Amino acid sequence: MRTVFANSILAAAQADKKVLLLTGDHGYALFDEFRKVLPEQFINAGIAEQNMVGVAAGLAKAGYKPIVYGLSAFVPIRVLEQIKMDVCYENLPVVFMGDGAGVVYSSLGSSHQSTEDIAVLRCIPNISILSPCDAQEMQYAMDQALRFASPHYVRMGKSDIGNVHTDSIAVPVGDLVNVRVGKDTKITFVATGSMVKTAMTLAGTAGDFSAWSVPSIKPINKVQITNLAQATDMMIVLEEHTIAGGLGSLVAEIVCETGGAKVIRLGVQDRFSQKCGSYEYLIKEHQLDIASLLAKIETLQ
Amino acid sequence: MNNFAPHELRQTVLKMAYSGSTVHIGCAFSIIEIMSVLYRNHVCYPDNNPDASARDYLVLSKGHGVMAQYACLYEKGWLTTFDIENYFKDGSKLKGLSDAHVIGCEVTSGSLGHGLSVGVGMALAAKLNQSDQYCYAIVGDGEMNEGTMWEALLFAQQQSLDNLIVIVDENGFQAMGKTCEVLGLGNLKEKFSAFGFDALAVDGHSETALDNALIELKNKKNGSPKAIIAKTVKGKGVSFMEHKNEWHYTRLTQSTFALAMAELATPASSTSASEHAQ
Repeated sequence: MRTVFANSILAAAQADKKVLLLTGDHGYALFDEFRKVLPEQFINAGIAEQNMVGVAAGLAKAGYKPIVYGLSAFVPIRVLEQIKMDVCYENLPVVFMGDGAGVVYSSLGSSHQSTEDIAVLRCIPNISILSPCDAQEMQYAMDQALRFASPHYVRMGKSDIGNVHTDSIAVPVGDLVNVRVGKDTKITFVATGSMVKTAMTLAGTAGDFSAWSVPSIKPINKVQITNLAQATDMMIVLEEHTIAGGLGSLVAEIVCETGGAKVIRLGVQDRFSQKCGSYEYLIKEHQLDIASLLAKIETLQ
Repeated sequence: MNNFAPHELRQTVLKMAYSGSTVHIGCAFSIIEIMSVLYRNHVCYPDNNPDASARDYLVLSKGHGVMAQYACLYEKGWLTTFDIENYFKDGSKLKGLSDAHVIGCEVTSGSLGHGLSVGVGMALAAKLNQSDQYCYAIVGDGEMNEGTMWEALLFAQQQSLDNLIVIVDENGFQAMGKTCEVLGLGNLKEKFSAFGFDALAVDGHSETALDNALIELKNKKNGSPKAIIAKTVKGKGVSFMEHKNEWHYTRLTQSTFALAMAELATPASSTSASEHAQ
């Protein structure tokens, strides 16, 4: 997933001198190739994220195509007002990469964990939000973002849990992608990012249910969600993100207007991580591990 | 352990870094002497209570240097050997970056540019309470890239917080390279003076120089906030780490751990043994 990201921005920058990569003194190994091949298109803005986004807006206004890289705990959280007013208000073509989303930095604590980035960006007009689950979806996300037609945010969470898709994603922007077909329509699983694999496992363990991946949070195909809701009793939405304002909230907002399924939001339950440990340990602390989720699903049936 | 001897503090940092397989070793080693002098001679905790309301505040704004502070908290008895040996183990409480939920840590400062403002607020509170508490804020030179740091300096001068002592760990490096090549800060002593601070630049690894600077600045009760620009070496104390920025990210192996521990078996020659008050 990270390789697809690094290769995509390098290819875009090689094809177009106007493409610039800005980072806030992060991305130590990730950009070695880029810095070697295109040093003049790489800008380390230092540990000054707000200034970096303002600068990116200025560059975009002058015809450049900036890619702004940071940890999602900083981009967008620390630079939300700059994203809102300096970039989105003028619909400037800036691509934001939020790395380490969720609790990837499991031993560094809450300052480096981002479980609210989707929620805060959803309410800013003009910015697309992409949340890829694997290399194929990352390619799909980068293909959208690197058109530089409007502001984009690509959420990069846990990236070493293997691929879900074998071939490239060919659905229109905003569509959900089926990742498991189940015969039982009682429950339908919807997930994004790192939780897609989890949803597939649950769908085949808790019964024989269908599962869908959501690579694009915004825009999203509302009609498709409405149809899914009317063909099932319960939609379980999984995300490594707070349940307040994330994908679950978005699905619930849509379904409650059209009726159909009950919507259950499974994600970070409005709490900070407490302890320190491995990624798996922290996923368990937030009860997003398979065992905890299966137990929860049993109580719902 | 005797009196925050730097070579012993560094040994504790190495043990933690090795058991937890962590990074940020270089960032901790550059502030060891600063921490040692502060804990030994300056930061006052009534009845050795880290939560005493009348305590001085030691704010580590460059939160990724926290292993240096953990080593001191261990010597203070507020962290246990279990904490040290189980660093990063599942369920452990000590994180890789400073966290205010840890006893003895005043701020959660993994994100840079936050801790100083919080420290300024504590210094202001002390003034409002007419207490003689001090706030010692250790900040990184790379961290001075953040705009919020300069906002904090303006505010501290505006509020005449002469009980605030900002100590800049000027090791010349930050994550991706030399600070002067990323976002240069120029002459920090002049910049702090221009912001109305009484500022001194000292060798950040000489306990005597640090101690004298602290005493001199604390004697000046003139309404001006204080600053010490500590010239330091990233990775100080272990020959193969000094001036090597990769030790911002490199984890210890069995052999590098053994080599480093061997170098730290006795007090470093540069800071003479007599400097450790016996």
